[in-house]
Amino acid sequence: MNDNVIIRTEGLCKYYRGGAIRALDGVDVEIQKGEVVVVIGPSGSGKSTLLRSLNLLEIPTKGHIFFEDVDITNPKLDVNLYRRKMGMVFQHFNLFPHMTVLRNMTIAPIKLLKKTPEEAETKARELLKLVGLEDRAEAYPSQLSGGQKQRVAIVRSLCMEPDVMLFDEPTSALDPEMVGEVLDVMKNLAESGMTMAVVTHEMGFAREVATRVIFMDEGQIIEEGTPQEIFDNPQNPRTQSFLSKVL
Amino acid sequence: MEWFNKWTNTLYNTFIVDDRYKTLITGFEKTILITLGALALGVVIGTIVAVIKVFADGNKKLRPLDFLCNIYLTIIRGTPVVVQLLISFFIIFVSSKDGTVVAIITFGVNSGAYVAETIRSGIMAVDSGQMEAGRALGFSKLRTMQYIILPQAFKNILPAIGNEMIALLKETSVAGYVAVMDITKAANQIKNTTYDHINPILLVALVYLALVMGLTKLLSVFERRLRKSER
Repeated sequence: MNDNVIIRTEGLCKYYRGGAIRALDGVDVEIQKGEVVVVIGPSGSGKSTLLRSLNLLEIPTKGHIFFEDVDITNPKLDVNLYRRKMGMVFQHFNLFPHMTVLRNMTIAPIKLLKKTPEEAETKARELLKLVGLEDRAEAYPSQLSGGQKQRVAIVRSLCMEPDVMLFDEPTSALDPEMVGEVLDVMKNLAESGMTMAVVTHEMGFAREVATRVIFMDEGQIIEEGTPQEIFDNPQNPRTQSFLSKVL
Repeated sequence: MEWFNKWTNTLYNTFIVDDRYKTLITGFEKTILITLGALALGVVIGTIVAVIKVFADGNKKLRPLDFLCNIYLTIIRGTPVVVQLLISFFIIFVSSKDGTVVAIITFGVNSGAYVAETIRSGIMAVDSGQMEAGRALGFSKLRTMQYIILPQAFKNILPAIGNEMIALLKETSVAGYVAVMDITKAANQIKNTTYDHINPILLVALVYLALVMGLTKLLSVFERRLRKSER
């Protein structure tokens, strides 16, 4: 097994209603250290389900997920320990509304990594500075714009020092003028070497930042390759048809 | 002016002679103590029951606990609190000397059954993304509940908890049934010794009314402060 593989899935399936609906239908995917894997596909193609399965927010019906060579689908395992190393950013931010930005960012490192409040706060303020929100540390989420919320959500995950970051349509709930600021943060993160898996409709981002693009449809991976291969020379007719609609 | 002098005279005889007002003060303290104690116990029980019921929704292992909770809810909600008080005093805690403690436990257990449903609805009203975000950070289900869901749930249901406190305050007036000397029982006793059938009862009514009005005011202030994070 290659040491550089962070996440690998084997025959991942997610069925609803006893198999009548197949959100994932045998997905094998491998994410290597430092890769930025962007998953695209029509809505209902299973791309969000795939991403949410990677940290077991969705429990797969069949198949295995290996995180750093450990099969985390093994029910005997304490999945909470592995989730700490997988940051996740949601479409709707999911900041904790009853906590300040700073508390949002420090609660998990303090409670789970047993960091001192000072350590956690220093780290949080550093990260806030990186995303240009150092003056919003004491604000509550409701006082932030959508773009600011999502930037906070990203650095909140980073506070746990994850090995991989999962992004589930991070810009889909944003007003158009705020999409750029969030994508910029993600781009910087990618350039800093973070391993990322991103489900998005931002084809520009995929083309520019992705090291690999995966096209999914009907719960299966239809095609994958470099952004150039997928966007400029798609092989599968379904990929071609999807891209002709969105580009 | 004659009636006024007569009235103050009656008041003097009713409340001041033999320091009878002191019984009322101790009774007042007891009423407050029972209310606060029962509310605290009720919220603790209610929270536990609510969390069990929410978690049991997706976890077969919790079904037996869920079943026990349902039995508790059915029994408590299916019988009058006075009867529960009698059962407590004369069957369950028959050897207990401290009536106040037994009253706190009884009213607390009773209140818990009603608070549980309120808290459960408060939990359900918290966006499901909050649980996901907590889990994604690596918190267990229970810790996410503790740090993230419950604080928000309590904020949602604070007015309902306040109402429960007001209801409890008034409900404790039946504690006299089992010889707990709360303010109502104290007034009743004064009434019986002085044959003044009017003033003790009216005074007690005024005390309850003032307490409830004060609580209502306090609650709205507190609620406004909690809403701060939603500006």
